[in-house]
Amino acid sequence: MNSVGEECNELKRSYDECFNHWFANKFLNGDRNEPCPDLFAKYQSCVKKAIKDKDIELWELERNVLGTEHEKKPPK
Amino acid sequence: MRIRQAEHVFDAPWDLVVRAQFRKYPNEFNNAVEGVDVVERRVDKTGTLYSHRLLSTRWGLPGWATKIIGSNGLGYGSEHSEVNARTKTMEMKTRNLTFCNIITVDEKMTYRPHPEDKNKTVLHQESVVNVQGVPLSSYIEHYVIDNIATNAEKGKKAMVSVMEKIQKESLELQHGAQKTMEEAFQKLHFNERSPF
Repeated sequence: MNSVGEECNELKRSYDECFNHWFANKFLNGDRNEPCPDLFAKYQSCVKKAIKDKDIELWELERNVLGTEHEKKPPK
Repeated sequence: MRIRQAEHVFDAPWDLVVRAQFRKYPNEFNNAVEGVDVVERRVDKTGTLYSHRLLSTRWGLPGWATKIIGSNGLGYGSEHSEVNARTKTMEMKTRNLTFCNIITVDEKMTYRPHPEDKNKTVLHQESVVNVQGVPLSSYIEHYVIDNIATNAEKGKKAMVSVMEKIQKESLELQHGAQKTMEEAFQKLHFNERSPF
């Protein structure tokens, strides 16, 4: 599986492997620590930059549009 | 607006099902998802794991719909999930980010152990489709809901396939560990017998 930013693919793979292992062996057995913090910090920083570069309005668009003035309406 | 609700029972324990949910893509049944990224993740004091993921998909809309909605290019979806290992609940909410001034597809999935059989897991899935501001909106809603139903079937097969893969990995790890131990034991035995 790829990342939204090609440059983040390797970081994603390393993080995913670490997370999947933690989730199966630690989290499901009661561990409450943050999973793979160092790997995640590097990967997350790459992803956030890729999101910005591709102009994906991730956080701004997480709001209701239909029923508000942002809804696309047919011309009068 | 169109709503679809469905329930499905997986013949697998909750722990395995939720592991598979995080590892669902890529799979041979659904080629639409091209990328998955974790944008935020944290564990809170109650032990709940929160994840926010960005999904990149390529919508397979037919020509007539893409002319109405826009280009049939890459679309993005935002997925928020919460998993609690103590209460054994997983809730996942997804919404499209692309074209959401015209169409919103909200999906909520909940995984819980089956109340009568802890080796089974119940999935409850609810989808809400809303199309406004373009012609044939009701028709498009109907098409998208049908598409969701088809994808839900693919999704179940994908989950079963991923769970089988996970179980195979566990077996391989076990065999690998067993083989290493056997070899170590044989070496030890040989050394004991050796006259030197």
